[in-house]
Amino acid sequence: MKADKEKRRMISRDAARRRRRVESEVFAELSRLLPLQQSVQDHLDKPSVIRLTLSYIRMHTLLKGITGKKAEASHAVKCEQVMESGEEWRGCDRGRDDEEKKTDDVEASEETNMFLRILEGFLIVLSTEGDMIYLSDNVSKYMGLTQTELMGHNIFEFTHPCDHEEIRNNLRLTAEVWCGAKRDFVMRIKGALTHRGRSSNLKSATWKVLHCQGRAKVCVAPSSVSCLLLTCQPLPLSHTLLSTHTFTSQHSMDMRFTYCDQRITLLLGYSTEELLGRSIYDLCHTLDTNCLTKNHLNLCLKSQSVSGQYRMLVRGGGYVWVESHSAVIPSVRPSKSRPGAHQPLCILCVTYVLSGVEEPSLQLSLDQTVHRYLR
Amino acid sequence: MSAGGSDGTADRPADLAADGECPEQAGSSLPAAELPRKRKGDVEERSGTHGQQSVDFQMDDDLSRSEGEDQQVKMKCFREPHRQIEKRRRDKMNTLIDELAAMIPACQPMARKLDKLTVLRKAVQHLKALKVGTGSAFTDTTSKPSILSHDDLKHLLLRAVDGFLLVVSCDRAKILFISESVSKILNLSRLELTGQSLFDFIHPKDINKVKEQLSSSEYPRQCLIDAATGVQVQVDAPARPPLLSTGARRSFFCRLKHSRVVGKQDKHFLPCTSKKKDSSRYCTLHCTGYMRSCPSSQLDSECDGEMESSDLSCLVTVCRLLTPVSHQPPKELTIRPSEFVTRWAIDGKFTFVEQQATTIIGYLPQEVLGTSCYEYFHQDDLLHLADKHRQVLRSKEKIETRCYKFKTKYGSYVSLQSQWFSFTNPWTKEVEFIVSSNQVISGPGHTKDEEAGNSKALQEDTKQIPIIPGLSSGLGTMIYAGSIGTQIANELMDSYSRMNSSPSSGACSPFGPAQEKCPVVSPLTSTSASSREEASGSSSQSQCDSRTAAGASSATSESLAAVSRININPIQGETSQLDLDLVPGLSSFSSDEAAMAVIMSLLETDVNMGQSGDFEDLHWPF
Repeated sequence: MKADKEKRRMISRDAARRRRRVESEVFAELSRLLPLQQSVQDHLDKPSVIRLTLSYIRMHTLLKGITGKKAEASHAVKCEQVMESGEEWRGCDRGRDDEEKKTDDVEASEETNMFLRILEGFLIVLSTEGDMIYLSDNVSKYMGLTQTELMGHNIFEFTHPCDHEEIRNNLRLTAEVWCGAKRDFVMRIKGALTHRGRSSNLKSATWKVLHCQGRAKVCVAPSSVSCLLLTCQPLPLSHTLLSTHTFTSQHSMDMRFTYCDQRITLLLGYSTEELLGRSIYDLCHTLDTNCLTKNHLNLCLKSQSVSGQYRMLVRGGGYVWVESHSAVIPSVRPSKSRPGAHQPLCILCVTYVLSGVEEPSLQLSLDQTVHRYLR
Repeated sequence: MSAGGSDGTADRPADLAADGECPEQAGSSLPAAELPRKRKGDVEERSGTHGQQSVDFQMDDDLSRSEGEDQQVKMKCFREPHRQIEKRRRDKMNTLIDELAAMIPACQPMARKLDKLTVLRKAVQHLKALKVGTGSAFTDTTSKPSILSHDDLKHLLLRAVDGFLLVVSCDRAKILFISESVSKILNLSRLELTGQSLFDFIHPKDINKVKEQLSSSEYPRQCLIDAATGVQVQVDAPARPPLLSTGARRSFFCRLKHSRVVGKQDKHFLPCTSKKKDSSRYCTLHCTGYMRSCPSSQLDSECDGEMESSDLSCLVTVCRLLTPVSHQPPKELTIRPSEFVTRWAIDGKFTFVEQQATTIIGYLPQEVLGTSCYEYFHQDDLLHLADKHRQVLRSKEKIETRCYKFKTKYGSYVSLQSQWFSFTNPWTKEVEFIVSSNQVISGPGHTKDEEAGNSKALQEDTKQIPIIPGLSSGLGTMIYAGSIGTQIANELMDSYSRMNSSPSSGACSPFGPAQEKCPVVSPLTSTSASSREEASGSSSQSQCDSRTAAGASSATSESLAAVSRININPIQGETSQLDLDLVPGLSSFSSDEAAMAVIMSLLETDVNMGQSGDFEDLHWPF
């Protein structure tokens, strides 16, 4: 009896072992087909192989929709233009040789690199469920985690719980989105970069604030491929000192000015003294109140934000379009008597003036009128 | 980590044995909690390195074996959490396999669920097919393999950003590089743009601005103030400052020409040299980027003779199309031609008036800024609007007014309807101002009859109310009108200070006449409902306003009666204590006659106030 049982166990054990070996072989074959470096391929675990395969297939389906017809169309246009200008272009016929393709690829690579560096961020493709289908490989530079470590995982595993609802709202495919509405929001994500910029473990991750902008790509069939294309910039951006048409300002947490640099006088006409204590909401176009509120809320909740474009009223009349990059910082208060005391917070803003003065003769707000009514 | 997990459980047999739960149940309860988000277990299990993953294969072996054997093992307790982890992992694997099957066309039409191995094999086939299709013949082993080709990534980026990459030299704005996507945005081909001067394509009014942005010196003529000493410091802009000392980031709007027809050169497409009417169309772009130094070898050779041999600077930007959406007002305040937006301080004084208002109300913004909105409201609407004003200060939602009359510059009234929204500072949670979106309901001409009727009534009533000596209707309106807003604002400020200070402080509602000081109103205060007291208090003020503004006499008494029963929303958090002030706003009136008027209006209040009535189904006399 016992021997039988033993024998049965052995048979089932062997069968199981064989199954597993076959399975492992198939997994290995699959991983070799993935367009990744060999060193990466060899170290993938089974779930990762499937995740990356899924991503590869999904991206392929997605791109067919984006590039398939367009690539041909632009190619045809190019040919036509070249013919018109009379230039010789041997590549005009369909059969382009590998050499051509290679140069094109190198060019494309340079272009995308430049793109991503100017954007100071990485690209992420999110499914409506929040799966990170694809991330551009420079993500490791900003997040400390590599493309293959992240691809296929769900973004909710990496983002701050308080931001989940906002992310979900942005992922939803609403009617507006079908018409191409854009997405612009700020979220906190786990970053595994040390202060020195080296990758560390996820266990010692810190929260990084990401500014995400993009739009949805809706696929009708299969609908599961619909996704959100986002460029993500970790904040703060490198401002590397201010340039022309920018000014810095400091605010208390309710967005009243506590300091403003001289440049604002040149750009907007206000003296720095008259701004102290004034709320930024008073200085901006009423229709942009929502934009400012969203920015303010992001600052209160996430400590960093990029406002969208909004209008600041110019002292004499009219307004300019501006964009502010802000962060909450502990306000500098040299106090030897209370070194350990909790530092009050304040908001630091770098504001770019994007446009010239529009409608300079228009006086829209109380401040702009010649006789100021004191409150 | 999972390997660590199993070791860990072996160390804690006591804990598990102490767990009275049936292991099977415990095992099944855990994954259920995680099913909502299928792969949630990943983070805990995943370690930072890949090396540890290989251990998992062996773990699979062990466990399958143990499960194939007798379940009644003494070590069952040790494997419990381990089994949970394994179950989680198996579930995760199964869901992944299912997802994979869903994405592979070959697996689609199957009636029954395919087993893991088949799905994997089909996946292998699918990937092989894909590779052939993409013509990856040119992906040689020397170039780094990537999930997406660079071309594909480029397309994705363009989709996400909706713009193009532009590199211009700083000295003459020569377009050094422009990405292909420009054809999608401007309908101009890359070929015709590359090498041209950017200024040829910019709107004439933006040329100077762009020149400034391209210049690398920060302050050509400005003085800086030293932050520490407050002393002016002259800054000499060096001839060619090193890039690090100036801000490298640039962000600006600019208008670029775009062609109507795809691919073909627009006939009107000439450089901006002619003064004749330029019939080109422009679209606004937002350009953000950085100044960079480009090695001079990349530039046109003809420049080399003029420039020094060192690096030249160029601006690398991403130019994004500004869609109309970003310039449109937020949805709650969509603007049509017969609409305008205003902003008031909490006391009703205009602090912002949109230019469109002028076509509707006749006044220029500067003519109404600083004045109280109540000065323009028709007397019949004062009560309603004051009520709405109170409401909006206490509500987080938009408050909609009825149709009301707004006095235009020319004396006539225009019918408006408004949505009011109070803006609360996200940090202080205090109301800072009110935004009003106003729509015209009917043109000024339409209301002329009504207005004529009103003015008649006005004259009649002035005669009928001799109680207010010295106060003409016009002047009286102004005084009381302005103060209504102030009063309402003060109520709010008081409620704030009350909320900030102790709740049991005596100073509370400025509504409601006091018992002690005004015996006249004691019938009103005999009941306990604070809302009624507020009603009487506020109604007294509104009454006095309506009286001085002189509505129709019969309507007046009726309206007084009705008004006195208005159930005004109480201030949140307010107690039902009475205010010691006699009547709201009296203290702000300097005139004794005005005070008299208010008291007299109180006397006229309908004594039926004593009943605790239901105010909802009142018939409004308006």
